[in-house]
Amino acid sequence: MSSVDLLLPLLVAVPMLLSTVPIVLGLRFDRTGWSVAALTTTALVAATTTLASVVYTDGVVTHRLGGWSPAYGIELVLDEFSALIAVLVAVTAAGVLAYTRVGGPRGNTFYSGYLLLTGGLLGISVTGDVFNLFVFLEIVGLATYAMIASGDGPESAVAALKYLILGTVGASMYLIGVGLIFMATGTLNMGVLAEVLPAAVERDPTLVRAGFAFVFVGFSMKVAQWPLHTWQPDAYQHAPDGITPVIAALVSTAYAYAFGRLLYSVFGPEFLTSTPYLTELVVTVGCVSVVAGSALAVIQTDVKRMFAFSSVSQFGLIVAAYGLVTESAFIGATIHLVGHAVIKAGLFAAAGVIAASYDARTVDEYAGLADEHPLVAGMMALLLVSLIGIPPSAGFVGKWYIALGAVEAQLWPVAVVILFSTLLTLAYSARLLEKMYFTPATPLEAPHVSESVATDGGENEDDAETAAGADAANDGDAGTRGGTETAALDATATNRDRNTVSYGMLALVVATALLAISLGFAGGFLAGLLDPSFITEVFN
Amino acid sequence: MSGSILPLAAVLTSAVAVVLIVASYRRPNIREGWSVLAALTQFGIVLSMLPGVLDGTVYEWSLQQSLGVEFLDGIDFVLRADLLGMLFALLASFLWIFTSFYATGYMRGLDEHDQTRFFAAFAASLSSAVGIAFAGNLVTIFVFYELLSLVTYPLVAHDGDREARIAGRKYIAYTFFGGGVILLAGTVMVYWLTSQTGTATTAFESGGIGALAEGAATDPTAAQITFYLLITGFAVKAAVMPLHSWLADAMVAPTPVSGLLHAVAVVKSGAFGIARVILEVYGPETIRDLPLSVPGIGEVGLNVPLAILAAFTLTAASIIALRKDHLKRRLAYSTTAQLSYIVLGLSMLHPYAILGALFHIPAHAFAKLTLFFCAGSVHVETHTDYISDMAGIGKRMPLTMSAFTIGAAGMAGMPLIAGFVSKFYMLLGAGYVGGEYWLFAAALLLSGVLNIAYFWPVVYTAFFESEDRHDAKPLLEFPAGGIRQFVGDELATDGGKRDEETELNSDGDSGAGAGADSDADSEADYEYAVDRYPSDADVPGGPGGSSAEDDVDSSVKTGTETAGTGHDHGHAGAHDDHHEHHGGPPADGWTRHSPLTESTWLMLGPIAVIATGAVVLGIIPGHAAFLDLATEIVTSVFDADSLEQLRGPLSAALEVSS
Repeated sequence: MSSVDLLLPLLVAVPMLLSTVPIVLGLRFDRTGWSVAALTTTALVAATTTLASVVYTDGVVTHRLGGWSPAYGIELVLDEFSALIAVLVAVTAAGVLAYTRVGGPRGNTFYSGYLLLTGGLLGISVTGDVFNLFVFLEIVGLATYAMIASGDGPESAVAALKYLILGTVGASMYLIGVGLIFMATGTLNMGVLAEVLPAAVERDPTLVRAGFAFVFVGFSMKVAQWPLHTWQPDAYQHAPDGITPVIAALVSTAYAYAFGRLLYSVFGPEFLTSTPYLTELVVTVGCVSVVAGSALAVIQTDVKRMFAFSSVSQFGLIVAAYGLVTESAFIGATIHLVGHAVIKAGLFAAAGVIAASYDARTVDEYAGLADEHPLVAGMMALLLVSLIGIPPSAGFVGKWYIALGAVEAQLWPVAVVILFSTLLTLAYSARLLEKMYFTPATPLEAPHVSESVATDGGENEDDAETAAGADAANDGDAGTRGGTETAALDATATNRDRNTVSYGMLALVVATALLAISLGFAGGFLAGLLDPSFITEVFN
Repeated sequence: MSGSILPLAAVLTSAVAVVLIVASYRRPNIREGWSVLAALTQFGIVLSMLPGVLDGTVYEWSLQQSLGVEFLDGIDFVLRADLLGMLFALLASFLWIFTSFYATGYMRGLDEHDQTRFFAAFAASLSSAVGIAFAGNLVTIFVFYELLSLVTYPLVAHDGDREARIAGRKYIAYTFFGGGVILLAGTVMVYWLTSQTGTATTAFESGGIGALAEGAATDPTAAQITFYLLITGFAVKAAVMPLHSWLADAMVAPTPVSGLLHAVAVVKSGAFGIARVILEVYGPETIRDLPLSVPGIGEVGLNVPLAILAAFTLTAASIIALRKDHLKRRLAYSTTAQLSYIVLGLSMLHPYAILGALFHIPAHAFAKLTLFFCAGSVHVETHTDYISDMAGIGKRMPLTMSAFTIGAAGMAGMPLIAGFVSKFYMLLGAGYVGGEYWLFAAALLLSGVLNIAYFWPVVYTAFFESEDRHDAKPLLEFPAGGIRQFVGDELATDGGKRDEETELNSDGDSGAGAGADSDADSEADYEYAVDRYPSDADVPGGPGGSSAEDDVDSSVKTGTETAGTGHDHGHAGAHDDHHEHHGGPPADGWTRHSPLTESTWLMLGPIAVIATGAVVLGIIPGHAAFLDLATEIVTSVFDADSLEQLRGPLSAALEVSS
């Protein structure tokens, strides 16, 4: 494995350094950002896959920055767990660029932020140092605030500000936790911490437990667990359409990964199960988020907001799985991290495509979408089906392992919540599916003429007639929806000129949908990546 | 056991057809051609495995062995054509052939919208149904069970109006509750239970999974809960009360869907799943060894609560059916009842009862499909949905109503028709067990009587009444318990006021209708409430009747638009003329038609074939493959050489195996 570990610092350093290039080149050229970002992310995909193949064949790759001993210096580690996340980050970052080429926010500064974000996310996945992790959390946070704020309109700025405040509070909580742990142990390196923590717990359990509490609250905020989730819906809803797939797929995922890393590689299952009420607390937070997130998702009118609440619920599932402390649950959490990221990237990209071409953003506006955009609607349906967890799909595989973990832990209430989460997810997904496929695009605001008509059940007919009328209007101008109250055909037409849908945007949606389905067959494969090498190391 | 691609090919045939159907959406004839071709191919593939399977070969295809992909950790994705699977696959694929012809006639006859989606989803449903049949372990069956729920949803919600959407919501809520929640829970539990005593597995084994029996011995409570989880998961689709109400609402779907899916493929997948659980996951012996201890009664077999529930369902559903005026809804409740025959037979555990139950799967399928096809044909030709409008319809549709009579006789279990054979074996089984099982036998017999009570009026009104002279239908038109009406002095004791009496009757008519309406609805949301709770007490011309009319109207309007493929525009015009009279005879009475001209051959052909099939199964069941399959299944589960060995009480039958 010679010098393959040199790639590790490059994973982080290259995107961060190159993030300055678009700005510099921007002095001379207008549109270089995308090309730079595309080149960089492609290189990152190549690098991460190379590293991952080394990790899965030869074992863990580590690199000591500056050659310092791990006790003092920063160590970068890519093991079976983080390799998966690193590949996910690189591939998603590269894939979403296909969307932003035409559809996304443009401009060189945007792509600078994009590269910074990618570098930060990769940093989170490869770092082996708890303080260094905080640094990367902040880098990702700052890049994300900037990305969200780049949306049009004042709501984006407000959403970014809200995220900034809450996100910083979360990161600070984490930092306090790290400080307490450093007090207890005197080291910041994850590997070393794992060795010395048991002794520290013996010596001063309160200090370590307090440290854990701060870490947990900090990550609950970052991962957007109920009731600390409030930044997330605003952020997702008001972020530009092109960047939401990245934020939704990667940012929370990377945070959740970091949380899992701390739980299992630093604190360790021993600490989790021996500390009173710890797992109960984590599991409860997760389960409550599952239920609350889904319930809130059901009542949303805005589609992107609905998906945001869905993320609260899905990450609840992951946090609950962390709290179960069984091998199956951990495998399930990891698979669900990846699967959910793919699904959510696809869903937000599809929502973006629909917003661009159809100008529909609320659930009601999605009515009749399947007739207008059969491809996007079909792919969205596939993605929603995966999210519900209907096999074969990524969502099912994750749920299977998590449910199995809950049963193995014999925590029956948790098992019930996890299994019923299917129905909860179904509640909001089916709402959208029904709108897209079985609700004709009728003018919603238009008064029902028929209401004055007899009580003998004649209304149906009128309804059908208006529906048919609207259909006829649509036939005249395909792609125009009869449903906007403005009903201004020309306005919609200009809208269409401005927001064209490129093949890249469609390709991203199609690719994620197909990936979500094919991951459904990879349950054994994904579990094989973690099990037995990583799992036995952690659980024994 | 031999590795073979055939089971996979059978599943994929109709999956490929989905793609082809969608691709040829501009050419309806080619599109429907794919359906027929796929149905024939699928049936051919299934049939080609039949001789081998009867000889004891098991054709198996496994994802891991063929592609090296592990579906889930420790669980393979297996399709295997064994005896039980063949029974279901053969049935579904055979009936699909005729249903695809019928569906073509039906959908074109009504100029339905979104026909491409309809046929694509239909083919996908068949793919999933065959997948369920050939699934080799609980996870694989779960995959297809969920897929079946998913792809049948567009068929239920097909109409796209409010009623259909609500029925669709109810449908997916029920089926995903049964599948994604309960059945998944049961599957996970089986995996966990077996992992405690050895290698975790969910693969079916004839006579029960060995590792599960061991796991059940160590943790009987968990095993009992798991049993009920699995059964409940499948019982949702088998429409066992109290989880049955989606089925009646799903009748808003086009009739081919109600026929093949909601009388055969979907609901039978539930019954089939229960058969798998009882015969090949737990096995009769393990079930017997896990008695429940009920306080106050003592030990009760694990199967008894299920049998009681099934017996209750088949009685209650038959009674409800008596009061349904909408023909398809009456058929739906009949389906609910008949499915519980299967569940009851299986849960009695006796080999003969199981044999009867397994044979009832095809027996009911043939008879009920005939009935649904007839109901659909009547709907297409005359737009009549309500039984009270069908007086004298026998002369308009002689062949259809004759076939209906055959199907109805089969439902009631008349000799010479399929239903008799299965009921006969079930009664034998109950008799062999004896004891309190006589109650189940009594329920079966009572339900037979009730079947006649709710089917005979349809036949009677069709053939022996005429549109202008027919009797009142007290069970339908009057409120339950009779008309509460002050009779006072108007009625003379001398019977002299005949005129007024009939008037009174008709008052009762509208009274019942209006009463039901005003009960349910406040003024403001009048139509919505009716749509949501379509009242079966509706009389012709009332809200129910006219909403049916609207459905047709809107379907024609949208239909003509979407059918912008050059197909049948002239016909749509002719159709509008039809609409002058809805629900019931035209003003000048039914025109008399010969059996050849009453409808299109696309519908008459399938009706005739399926009805003949029901008779064939009743007269020579031994020559029609299904009884052979069922016998083989039972003997292999009980490890016996022949059926004769299994006579006698249940304990003796179980001795044979051990």
